[in-house]
Amino acid sequence: MEPVPLPQAGGAPAARPLSDWLPRLAAARPRGAYAHVPFCFHKCHYCDFYSFVDTKDRQGAFVDRLLEEARAASVLAREPLETLFVGGGTPTLLADHELERMLRGLRAMLPWADGAEWTVEANPETVTEGKAAVLASCGVTRVSMGAQSFQPALLRQLERHHDPASVARAVGLLRAAGIARLNIDLIFAIPTSTMAEWQDDLAQALALAPDHLSCYGLVYEPGTPLRARLEAGGVERLDEELEAGMYEHTAATLAAAGFHHYEISNWAKPGEECRHNLLYWEDGEWIALGPSASGHAAGLRWKNVAVLQEWLEHGPWSPVRSVEALDEDGRIGEAFLMGLRLLDGMREERVRALLDHGARATQRRAAIDAALARGDMEWSSGRLRFSERGVLTSDSVLRELL
Amino acid sequence: MKIRNFSIIAHIDHGKSTLADRLLQATKAVSQREARAQMLDSMDLERERGITIKASAVTVRHTWKGEEYELNFIDTPGHVDFTYEVSRALKACEGAVLVVDSTQGVQAQTVANAYLAVAGDLTIIPVVNKIDLPAAAPERVAMEIEQVFGFAAEDCILVSAKTGQGINELLDAICEKLPEPKAPTTTKLRGLVFDAKYDEYRGVVMYVRIFDGQLRQGDKIRMMGTGRTFSVTELLRYTPFPQKVKELSLSQVGSVCAGMKTLGDVRVGDTITLDIDPAETALEGYEEPKQMVFCDFYPSSADEQGKKSDFEALREAIEKLHLNDASFTFETQHSEALGFGFRCGFLGLLHMDIVQERLEREGGVSIVQTAPTVSYIIDLNDGTELEIHNPADLPDLSRVKAIREPIVRIEIICPNENIGDLMKLCEARRGIFQSQEMISETRQILKYEIPLAEIIYDFYDKLKSVTRGYGTMDYQIICYREDRLVKVQILVNAEPVEALSLICHRDNAEQRSRAILTKLKDQIDRHQFEIPLQAAIGGKIIARESIKAMRKNVTAKCYGGDVSRKRKLLEKQKEGKKRMKQIGSVTIPQEAFMAILDQGD
Repeated sequence: MEPVPLPQAGGAPAARPLSDWLPRLAAARPRGAYAHVPFCFHKCHYCDFYSFVDTKDRQGAFVDRLLEEARAASVLAREPLETLFVGGGTPTLLADHELERMLRGLRAMLPWADGAEWTVEANPETVTEGKAAVLASCGVTRVSMGAQSFQPALLRQLERHHDPASVARAVGLLRAAGIARLNIDLIFAIPTSTMAEWQDDLAQALALAPDHLSCYGLVYEPGTPLRARLEAGGVERLDEELEAGMYEHTAATLAAAGFHHYEISNWAKPGEECRHNLLYWEDGEWIALGPSASGHAAGLRWKNVAVLQEWLEHGPWSPVRSVEALDEDGRIGEAFLMGLRLLDGMREERVRALLDHGARATQRRAAIDAALARGDMEWSSGRLRFSERGVLTSDSVLRELL
Repeated sequence: MKIRNFSIIAHIDHGKSTLADRLLQATKAVSQREARAQMLDSMDLERERGITIKASAVTVRHTWKGEEYELNFIDTPGHVDFTYEVSRALKACEGAVLVVDSTQGVQAQTVANAYLAVAGDLTIIPVVNKIDLPAAAPERVAMEIEQVFGFAAEDCILVSAKTGQGINELLDAICEKLPEPKAPTTTKLRGLVFDAKYDEYRGVVMYVRIFDGQLRQGDKIRMMGTGRTFSVTELLRYTPFPQKVKELSLSQVGSVCAGMKTLGDVRVGDTITLDIDPAETALEGYEEPKQMVFCDFYPSSADEQGKKSDFEALREAIEKLHLNDASFTFETQHSEALGFGFRCGFLGLLHMDIVQERLEREGGVSIVQTAPTVSYIIDLNDGTELEIHNPADLPDLSRVKAIREPIVRIEIICPNENIGDLMKLCEARRGIFQSQEMISETRQILKYEIPLAEIIYDFYDKLKSVTRGYGTMDYQIICYREDRLVKVQILVNAEPVEALSLICHRDNAEQRSRAILTKLKDQIDRHQFEIPLQAAIGGKIIARESIKAMRKNVTAKCYGGDVSRKRKLLEKQKEGKKRMKQIGSVTIPQEAFMAILDQGD
């Protein structure tokens, strides 16, 4: 498999090191860190994350460079960080010793709060006893497993080539190593899939007793091979009614199984919500490590360069190609866009405060009033939130709140 | 010197302009180098489309039997959308050269133009052109001419405008066969304005044929129709390049500049006389041009709340074009769907296309054009009548006694084997059969009376596809006639949308309505609620559809790195929605209005 083509330096604006923004970042109060490991066995057809097929020869350089970046970024972490999320790519594709070096390095370079949540994304096929031991011994508290589906035919549609049985095996190994918190990622509404297949996927996932489930309706992300196939007519989008039915079935099934539907696509046993992801939705701040990683702090959103070689060659601060400082309306819009993804919604005082500002306040209020009148939103226990029914069409409301 | 005034009339692409060029060359009026293709057509657009929109007049000399003749060649528009202009140009002539392509035979516009010439009492010289082509069948085409018009086949002059073959013979025939101009009936000046153009440097240039008296530079002239007076600043004749002359004398043709600022100052068909010594009666035949086909032009980037500059640019382009072509009308229009624009009236469909193209090309504006409608005459109960160009203007039906629509006589020339299909097509469009005649062994002429409204959408395309391109048609408005016409209203979520209402025949109302609702259903996105779509006549629902409520519009994944991209995606959606029209709580994309208006079967 060839790596996906990536934007080259030629046409794009020149990247500048993030350190150019240090004066502004003096106000940063990050509570978490995201580290991106760009290696994969294979580029999956629905995936739009920055990743490419591992050639092994750059793993060592990658870890060195990541730790150099972490050391530099530590000046931003004035308070101990509460969460780490290592995503990809496939972080567990790193060789055991490189994975260990990375995790121990991150532990040493940055200040961590007691009981910090450390999540690592894992591909079930890469989880060995040795890998599980490394994760556990380095203080990883939570693993997020990309199962996607237990139906071999549907996995093939996604160009995922793992054996469904490897998920249970990986879960067993991780539990045995002492990692208690497990998330399983599932995808529904894959072309040709049926309600029965989805019910089976949910049942198989629940049988593994995870404390967290992420269930995503398949997204045909621009620039992915899957999207190209869709546009060329090679695959057909699943019927909207069926997809909505699958989502409703998910909500009902997981509620019955004792899960709390806390975000549009996320369910957790009480208290097991992903604290790192909550940072994103609650407008929190975090730092970014690794190529293509995004950060948010001091009113800035930035994204590290997405070309491994370019990132490797420039340090210690990553070159960044896009840095955004949103105006007031932009910040208010994003606060709603993220905050209302949480099913508990947003606190009334926060909503009122956001609606008191910005040039588009009147339109925002009107959109919320209309959604409340339709029953797509509701006030509940002093919070504004989407109703279970309104969640499914939330984009129609959220775009009016931007 | 003896004078012959004549026009060339032909079906489109039968070689009229090439023949005109060749005549100019043969008379040594134009050198080879100067003979730009189709010299008389002064606009790019005309050259590209192979049609002549505005008449010109060229004066050349030819010697026949040792005597020199002044030949005044008056160019006419090739299409009967411009019937009135053609008839004015023909009025300035004593004869016409009727050109038929020897590979195509007699076509619908050949017939329509020939009828106009006959009606104008002109002497006609039939010419079979393009005889150099391998596919030429001059004898057969000459037989068609005999069959259709009654000229003896052997009197047809066979020419090739391309090679020059037969051109001298034609020039001789013009001198020999066409009558001399009639003797004057008064000594006072009477000149017929048979065309007028707008020239950036000179202002309005009138083309005039002198019937009585003479016209000199510096004369104060009076327009007998309007009573307005002007001073002649310049007289020109074209050979074919403009040459200043001191006077235009009896029977001569040339152009007059008299300080007129816009084409609104002059009416084609008016009579010029001297203010100091006026003629008692005007030459006959002046009519106001009548707009039969209407459509709206909107700037394509119409943004109702936003900038007005696109609308202003369109207004400027229209006003400028109107200086050149006073035969289309325009008034400001506000559409629920498309914002501010103009409702324009045209002489016919071709005229509409030409105006649109010229606006885009010469005015540099990008236009959204709605589908054409016709003008209706509404007889009200109180005995008065009202002309409307827009279904939305139809008064309350309780006040309406009858709705009358324009009827055309259509002539279709087609291969024998297509007669059945074409008759079916005409019957389906409420046509009333008039006649069917053979024009040759293989082709027929079919005549129907048919409502103009039935042929302005896609009739011509259907005709072309049924006859695999061989059929031709032409039409003339003959009258307004009452029929069971109704106004169909379209309701979206129970709200009537005027921009979607239409007038159609009662018998077709259900079918038309269903087609519209189906298209609307495809064009309007699902909303968070179900949207009923209905078609109604006077409150009675005749068709319905519904757009199901949206089930799913949710971003599945949105984590830290996705925020900016997802926000931009939603903002783009919102932008797209802004350009849509809000009807009650439903947003309708602009395209939906266009799809509705662009309805066929």
